[in-house]
Amino acid sequence: MDSSWEDLTLAFSRTSMFPFFDIAHYLVSVMALKHRPGAVEGAWKNPFSSWFTAMLHCFGGGILSCILLAEPPLRFFANHTNVLLASSIWYIIFFCPWDLISQGYSFLPVQLLAAGMKEVTRTWKIIGGITHANSYYKNGWLVMIAIGWAQGAGGIIITNFEQLLKGDWKPEGNEWLKMSYPSKVTLLGSLIFTFQHTKHLTISKHNLMFLYTIFLVTTKITMMITETSSVTLAPFEDILSRMLFGWQHQFSLCEKKCGAKSSSNGTGSSVSKPITDGSDDVKRKHSKKTE
Amino acid sequence: MDLLSALSLGELALSFSRVPLFPVFDLSYFIVSILYLKYEPGAVELSRRHPVASWMCAMLHCFGSYILADLLLGEPLIDYFSNNSSVLLASAVWYLIFFCPLDLFYKCVSFLPVKLIFVAMKEVVRVRKIAVGIHHAHHHYHHGWFVMIATGWVKGSGVALMSNLEQLLRGVWKPETNEILHMSFPTKASLYGAILFTLQQTRWLPVSKASLIFIFTMFMVSCKVFLTATHSHNSPFDVLEGYVCPVLFGAAWGGDHHHDNHGASHGGSHGGGPGAQHSVLPAKSKEELSEGSRKKKTKKAD
Repeated sequence: MDSSWEDLTLAFSRTSMFPFFDIAHYLVSVMALKHRPGAVEGAWKNPFSSWFTAMLHCFGGGILSCILLAEPPLRFFANHTNVLLASSIWYIIFFCPWDLISQGYSFLPVQLLAAGMKEVTRTWKIIGGITHANSYYKNGWLVMIAIGWAQGAGGIIITNFEQLLKGDWKPEGNEWLKMSYPSKVTLLGSLIFTFQHTKHLTISKHNLMFLYTIFLVTTKITMMITETSSVTLAPFEDILSRMLFGWQHQFSLCEKKCGAKSSSNGTGSSVSKPITDGSDDVKRKHSKKTE
Repeated sequence: MDLLSALSLGELALSFSRVPLFPVFDLSYFIVSILYLKYEPGAVELSRRHPVASWMCAMLHCFGSYILADLLLGEPLIDYFSNNSSVLLASAVWYLIFFCPLDLFYKCVSFLPVKLIFVAMKEVVRVRKIAVGIHHAHHHYHHGWFVMIATGWVKGSGVALMSNLEQLLRGVWKPETNEILHMSFPTKASLYGAILFTLQQTRWLPVSKASLIFIFTMFMVSCKVFLTATHSHNSPFDVLEGYVCPVLFGAAWGGDHHHDNHGASHGGSHGGGPGAQHSVLPAKSKEELSEGSRKKKTKKAD
């Protein structure tokens, strides 16, 4: 039993991503691009721009990690087969007669299968990023976490930047600041794998890969079926943020209660200062604009 | 006697330029930088709602100069993050400033005498960074003194030059505000310092590096402490620039001046006729201008 489990996880960790899992990743990424408003008309009007956006969607994580490590950001183009694969998937999805692929994709089991396979690639990317960063910085575990995270979830940041440059998107909304579920999960995975890599976590790599992938796939599929977002992490996050970042709030609440009886203005001054500063700043900006 | 005093001064400068920066001076650099982040509008609410974004902002404030210099010289952007201890120290400072119970840490740090000490120590770090940046650039480009000036400037002024990106992280996108359009005193001083250090590096300035570091640090510390203590935001270069700019950029300077007055009176009187505008100008424009520049500089006064 024990040895068969080992065999299973070892075989799983040696699975090659290349044809099928990569296809699923490109399929899900380009489909996400297609469901953006205006993407289809854009592809008809300006195919090259659409193709480039699709490439950014597919290879965004690699590009971001290359930028962070001062490697050529366009290095992914050197990987001809992957670029050709992604391009053909982009072509099929956008220009297939009668939109066959989209109709097939809208069938839920297909979507589930593709999304699950995409999550598998995420694990591999995180590990690739961590080992790559480790070859540069032996003890820089912050760098390893950052690169692993960039490889796994950096596509979101790259595509947001692309939209910002196009002017489609304004960062006043909260989507940018609020970390999405994939990026949170990737951050968690990047942490775990870095600790595994620096031998702080006594678990073999293939076991960890298997467990983490199973976790990713099950959460993703349950999220897609139940159509909720952030099922699993919300309670932990709540507890964690209350533990780490709730001190001041609780104290100030406490003091407010006390302050109702004995007039203490300790927090009052500390709170009012940034606020007046803020309003001052707004005024300043206003005057700057009128200048 | 003269020789002896010169020798001791030289030795003082030399030992001063060899003081290790890491625990104490770096700590004060982080404290002052994150203090200025907390002064930014909306930073406190941001830290409550999105701690990760706030942390990244704080890291940019602390290490922005390294990141920008690495970008310019084509080195890994996250190079500095391999210094685990510095990053952990900066994170601890960020946590204490934003989330300490009762805001105790923030209150202690922003108490004026304490803050003055920290500001002075921050300037020591700034000057040292300019010198190191120029040395580094010189290592890459032996005769590229523009490269040296740029690297030293970027190292000295830090996050101010990437304020647009930093604002973007906080969810504010204002491409029309830009540090280069309204340079604050630290930015200008870093630029002048970078030029001086480059001249020294290329042996145009007959001073040793240690004494230049010493003198420039003294200048920066005294200026910055004086400015912080008096809450004034007139940069000491204003007088000099008032003389030099009309000579060098005469036509542009006059036009700019006129434009400024126009904008200020427009903001102040909210649309009077052109005749009324001129009568309002002397009283109103002066007040408006000084207020505007003061406000501008509070923001960027790191």
